[in-house]
Amino acid sequence: MKKHLLTLALCCVTSLSFANEEVKLEKIQVDTSNPAVKRGVEAFMDSCHSCHTLKYIKYQDLVGLGFDKAKVKEWQGDWTLDAPVMGMMPDDGAMAAFGKLPPELSLMARARDGGNNYLYSYLMAYYTGADGVTGNHVFPASKMPDPLGISSATEPAQRAEIAAKAKDIVSFLNWAADPHELERYKLGTYILGYLFVLTSLLFVMKKRIWARLN
Amino acid sequence: MSNKVMQWIDRRFPLTSFVQHDLSEYPTPRNLSYWWNFGSLAGIVLVLQVLTGIFLAMHYKADVNMSFASIQHIMRDVNYGWLLRYMHSTGASAFFLVIFIHMARTLYYGSYRAPRELLWWTGQGLLLLLMGTAFMGYLLPWGQMSFWGATVITNLFRATPFIGDQVVVWLRGDYTVGDETLTRFFALHYLLPFVIIGGVMIHLIALHMVKSSNPSGIDLADKDNIPFHPYFTIKDLYGLGVFLMVYFGFALFFPNLLIEPANNIPANPMQTPNHIVPEWYFLPFYAILRSVPNMVGGVVAMGLSVILFAFMPLLDRSKIPGGALYRPIFRVQFYLFIIDMLILGYIGYVPPTDQTIVIGQIASIAYFCSFFVVPFISTAEEKWLRKRGLPKQVEALIASEELQKAQKKTGGK
Ligand code: HEC
Repeated sequence: MKKHLLTLALCCVTSLSFANEEVKLEKIQVDTSNPAVKRGVEAFMDSCHSCHTLKYIKYQDLVGLGFDKAKVKEWQGDWTLDAPVMGMMPDDGAMAAFGKLPPELSLMARARDGGNNYLYSYLMAYYTGADGVTGNHVFPASKMPDPLGISSATEPAQRAEIAAKAKDIVSFLNWAADPHELERYKLGTYILGYLFVLTSLLFVMKKRIWARLN
Repeated sequence: MSNKVMQWIDRRFPLTSFVQHDLSEYPTPRNLSYWWNFGSLAGIVLVLQVLTGIFLAMHYKADVNMSFASIQHIMRDVNYGWLLRYMHSTGASAFFLVIFIHMARTLYYGSYRAPRELLWWTGQGLLLLLMGTAFMGYLLPWGQMSFWGATVITNLFRATPFIGDQVVVWLRGDYTVGDETLTRFFALHYLLPFVIIGGVMIHLIALHMVKSSNPSGIDLADKDNIPFHPYFTIKDLYGLGVFLMVYFGFALFFPNLLIEPANNIPANPMQTPNHIVPEWYFLPFYAILRSVPNMVGGVVAMGLSVILFAFMPLLDRSKIPGGALYRPIFRVQFYLFIIDMLILGYIGYVPPTDQTIVIGQIASIAYFCSFFVVPFISTAEEKWLRKRGLPKQVEALIASEELQKAQKKTGGK
């Protein structure tokens, strides 16, 4: 048991310390509720879809989230419902503009150290330097232009609005990376509850059977 | 009716006598602690891995252009595919955790000592098979860490004298890790678990020959043995319940804790990740590999670090029963070894700096020393303990053990 706990503790400590090795990431509580995810879809379609693809998300999945087909049709264009959500920028255009392709984002929330916190911090880390050039604290070499306009927002109300939008986008990307997450927690609660009762009964039985020995 | 059927079977196959001899009436020491649950747990995890694995294989595609996407297909579209996949990926870690505890128990209580050497050595063989299976399974999702981990590890075979380069190409089926490597790793990853099942049978036959050891570390007289059923069936079931709670806790609430983020990026041979780490269960051995500045030396050291456990029955010269229980110095050695393992694990995880390299080298030397000093310390410790006078019950244990041995010699044919 001791060893077990120590290993676990070690794993946690190392993974945490590793995640914020370079820059301190802002920690956020991800809202996994359906309204937040849906707001995230809309924000994503407004601000990110022009460049980024979601390879493993189909338009059909957006209908599954509760959007009506007419709404999805606006985003879908000429694609069918079971086509993946393709970014709108052609590859050669992206290569010409950025020198690289914008990565597909359906797994992004699980593909960087720091996960959701990284996404949020990255989107919010744009600033305008003294020379008027936009930079990013979290990913200084990033070729992505500030998509939410946080670097030019000075009003606190405006900044708060952008922060809320970024959080919604993270809610959506978190869902996109792991669409069965909530179902998993629900099943987990049932299984653990069931196992707890079963194991307690087994414990009582064990005590009783072993009591025969003396 | 059922009696008649059983009779019919028993005349043709020793079913009843097998069940009696090896299950229902199998004599088991009554003083086993819960540390003795981990053997049967390992068997259950093996079954879980095989079952989830077979269903995953029905949806998985071993092709460099399809495997990453087929995992996403399993995670998103296959009914309860996410459950199968997370159970399988968590199960791999659970398997190693259970096996490491099982081994730690064997070391602590000296269960590897005569007459259980073959039991220990078959277990060592199973550990190697398990490591091989896990290593090959890790390539299958075809993520960045899969690809680069397999590249780094297969590359180590370059250390083979004279034909190193050829061996590496032979293992990979190509000059680099690619489609050939992926398909053969998949074939072997499906095959090896069944070899492991065979190995477990041999391990169990050896166990039933010498019977379980126990915390006092000797063969107990018959009066202290109780039938396996119902006492240990219920105890193992209770232990299984506790284990499953931990297992499902991880598989359903924290399944991504032990999946490297980089493995959610498809393999890209053109781009090395900033930091290549193996799965946690290989970290101590990986740290030893990295601690030796020379590659051949590192590979030899890493191989030795896994194999050395097999030498314990030869290294440990003490005749005091009970492993660490009645041997204070051995106990200290045991705990120092566990701490050393944890330090090595940490060093294997972090990106190397001047400081961690030095710590890793010291910890590696300590690792090997903890084996090499065993013969000297165990004899000296026994002398010292005997001179100091052993506790009465230990003297009694030794006497009864010798008596049993003598009886077996005269009683046997
Ligand atoms: C004008 C095109 C464009 C838009 C709009 C855009 N991105 Fe990007 N994005 C890029 C490019 C180009 C990269 C590659 C950056 C690099 O690697 O230097 C990128 C990279 C990223 C990354 C990966 C960063 C990393 O660690 O590698 C994330 C996450 C991301 N974008 C999220 C978003 C989100 C969320 C939005 C919408 C709010 C968005 N992007 C809008 C072009 C865009």
